[in-house]
Amino acid sequence: MLTVLVTGLAVGALYAAAALAYNVMYSTSKVLSLTTGHIFMLSGVFGAFFIGELGLPMPVGFVGAIAIGTLFGVVTEFVAIRRVLARSDEHLWLLSTLAVATIVQQSVGLWWGTEPKPFPRLIPQDFSAGIWDQKYWLPIATIAVLVVGLELFQRRTLLGKIFLAVSEDAFAARARGVSVNRVRALSYALAGILGAVAGFAAGQLTFAYFALGLTLTLNGFIALAVGGLGSNLGAVVGGLALGLLTASATYFFGGEYQQTIAVGLLMLLLLVKPEGLFGAKRTRHV
Amino acid sequence: MSVADVAASGGLQATRVTKRFGGVVAVDAVSLDLRPGEIHGLIGPNGSGKTTLLNLLSGYYAIDDGTIVLDGETLNRTPVQRRPFLGVARTFQKPRLLGSLSVLDNAMLGGWRDARAGFVGTALALGRARRDDAVLRARALELLHGVGLGGVLDRRANQLDHAEQRFLEIARGLAMRPRFILLDEPAGGLTEHEIEQLARVVTTLRDGGIGVLVVEHHTDFVFRICDRVTTLNLGRMIAQGSPQHVRNDPEVIRVYLGA
Amino acid sequence: MNLRNPRLPLLVAGAVAAVTLPFWAGDVYRVHLATLIAAYWILVSGLNLVVGFTGLLSVGHVGLLAIGAYAFAILAGTHEINPFVSLVIAGGVGGVCGFLLGLPSLRLPGFYFAMATLAFALIVTEVTLAQQELTGGGAGIAVPGFGGPFESPDGFYWLVAGIAVLFTVFTWNVSRRMWGRAMIALRDSDVAAASVGVPVYKVKLTTFTFSGVAAGVGGALFGALQSYITPETFVFELGMFFFICIVIGGRGVILGPFVGTIVLTALPEFVAPLANLGQFFYGALLLIVVLLVPEGIGHVFTWLRERRSPRTTDKQVVTPDLERLAAAIRAGREA
Repeated sequence: MLTVLVTGLAVGALYAAAALAYNVMYSTSKVLSLTTGHIFMLSGVFGAFFIGELGLPMPVGFVGAIAIGTLFGVVTEFVAIRRVLARSDEHLWLLSTLAVATIVQQSVGLWWGTEPKPFPRLIPQDFSAGIWDQKYWLPIATIAVLVVGLELFQRRTLLGKIFLAVSEDAFAARARGVSVNRVRALSYALAGILGAVAGFAAGQLTFAYFALGLTLTLNGFIALAVGGLGSNLGAVVGGLALGLLTASATYFFGGEYQQTIAVGLLMLLLLVKPEGLFGAKRTRHV
Repeated sequence: MSVADVAASGGLQATRVTKRFGGVVAVDAVSLDLRPGEIHGLIGPNGSGKTTLLNLLSGYYAIDDGTIVLDGETLNRTPVQRRPFLGVARTFQKPRLLGSLSVLDNAMLGGWRDARAGFVGTALALGRARRDDAVLRARALELLHGVGLGGVLDRRANQLDHAEQRFLEIARGLAMRPRFILLDEPAGGLTEHEIEQLARVVTTLRDGGIGVLVVEHHTDFVFRICDRVTTLNLGRMIAQGSPQHVRNDPEVIRVYLGA
Repeated sequence: MNLRNPRLPLLVAGAVAAVTLPFWAGDVYRVHLATLIAAYWILVSGLNLVVGFTGLLSVGHVGLLAIGAYAFAILAGTHEINPFVSLVIAGGVGGVCGFLLGLPSLRLPGFYFAMATLAFALIVTEVTLAQQELTGGGAGIAVPGFGGPFESPDGFYWLVAGIAVLFTVFTWNVSRRMWGRAMIALRDSDVAAASVGVPVYKVKLTTFTFSGVAAGVGGALFGALQSYITPETFVFELGMFFFICIVIGGRGVILGPFVGTIVLTALPEFVAPLANLGQFFYGALLLIVVLLVPEGIGHVFTWLRERRSPRTTDKQVVTPDLERLAAAIRAGREA
């Protein structure tokens, strides 16, 4: 039973991190990028590649994975967002991020293989630790630090405040001399760092697996929709709730209907409360 | 004319209608009645609530207080997409056309309330869908020639110039066979000559028995063609009556014309 | 949507080529490939109304394809019901599932809807894996053929191609009438659509349900063609493939997505390196199209034609014909 709780928290923390990455990118671009989960996947795969295959020391592998995540964030913004936002069609970004996500996932599949590969031990620890194993507490602790760090960044630093300003009213921010393009690129880099750190820390839980991206893109989105688009508190609550729910569903009903239960509950919630638990109401303009 | 008289003659009637956005009262207890066969002008400075009132009448926003009555029937909760069936059409401040379709297709879309064929019948090419099309095409053609777009029937709507877009929106609205049409700044962006044509079109609508509500910035245009004028300021009605009366109202001169 | 189609001779030539295909294709594998394209196209033709006309971004139609294939396999195989009856039921099951999927998800905004369809595809995989007694689970299930004259590859090709023509005609009929205009209105401006009285939700749900029927029928024929299906047959990427066929072919047209389906299905078979790249190739193609020709490749031809014959764009002054207008309004009163 404790295992269920711990697994749920660890997986839930990962979903929460994906939801946060969505939020960071959404705030400056108003785009929900389908590449979100793929940041985590890239970090896991490259972490395993750097440390496991190339035999680099752990800190080097960690920095390398973060570099890959950041690069991916910036490239996504440059290729799939910047040019598309200039056009008026609102759904074009869905197609462009879908295309980038597919390209990345299939490239990794071709190069790394489509079977999950183990992620190296990061800290010396006996495998008999049970629920105290690092594959659980490491992602939970890391993501807790990321949540606090993100909150401090957005509230305390100048750059964080500029992010919020662009998020509230990009037009007004531009009028005050803020380069919205640059801020957007920075936010995608930030989401890349966030996703890479979380993906690296959770590597032992998720394995280095090319299809992880799609799962996290979907479940991170469910966490976000439950918590409410744009709300970081909502992202964390939604992620943990979803993680605990799927873990206990697996425990009680077996793992066969995980996705079905998660999506079914999301649908119910959205029908009752379309803006999510902590989200702002959408208003319509004519 | 009393309330009972309006109800008897048929009309679109808003009584003490109120709309709030957050803490802001965008429309504050405004009453207005639109009768068949009249042109009613709605003027006021920017942010006075003109377009919001139009959106309330056409159902895009739900009213917070008051009533909207059409021929004695309350419309307060009737959704947007039901109102065309009751005979209320509208145009938009920024024309909302289907850019990839032809002018003729755009105007035909206005006839949706008279399309009887269901999806399955259409897919199986039963006669009804073809008859719908023939009737609505003929109607759209007449209306397009009527408003002066007979020469550009096959042109894609996104290749029209601004005036043509405005006239196409009116033609699409008329294809609904409305008894009331609400025009949101129809003269916006038009040249003097085009405004002249617009005035002739709007007058023809009135003479055809349609009640026209014109929301406008262009006061000369409104005072020239309207039978009655309502003036709003900061969401409140400050004057209502004949163009003469409103034009000489000291409050109107102060907040609007004198500005 | 244009009836006075100057490409009519081309269409006739294409039809003749399609009918006679088994005689000139050369080998059985190419006939198999053509049958596959036809089965895909049945699904894509319905999906085209959803994506290309109504502007709803469904990436999970592979789930409906799987439902059609499994329904057919269970009915015609396990229960030995007549394959043609099973085919009709499979279409019905697809339609019901499409309806049930659309019922909640079509109320959601665009991105939420896309995610709901993505989740639906994953749920179908989960269920087919879990319901071992019905579907054979991960091991899969055999799918019977249609027997009689349709047992041979050529006969089956004609059957599938004939049904594909039927669905093409359905969608063509819908697209050129008021329903087609209403769908495009929902895509381009739902505000305008509602303002003329188009029942937004009802049109979306009807269109989506129809696409479910098409996917169910397409799935049944696809399953019969494969003769053995497992959950692995219906990977999520296949759903994206259908979606890409339409986006690349162009929005609001039928011919473009049709050519898209043919080319994208056949190309990897004839260009070996592309087969190795698999979905990577589709992803790259989608990106290029979205960035360079977001209207789809089909529209490049329209664009070129307009380029070649520049219209006289002299500014016409709008001159109303008031008598005609008054007469039209009177006619409207009396109607």
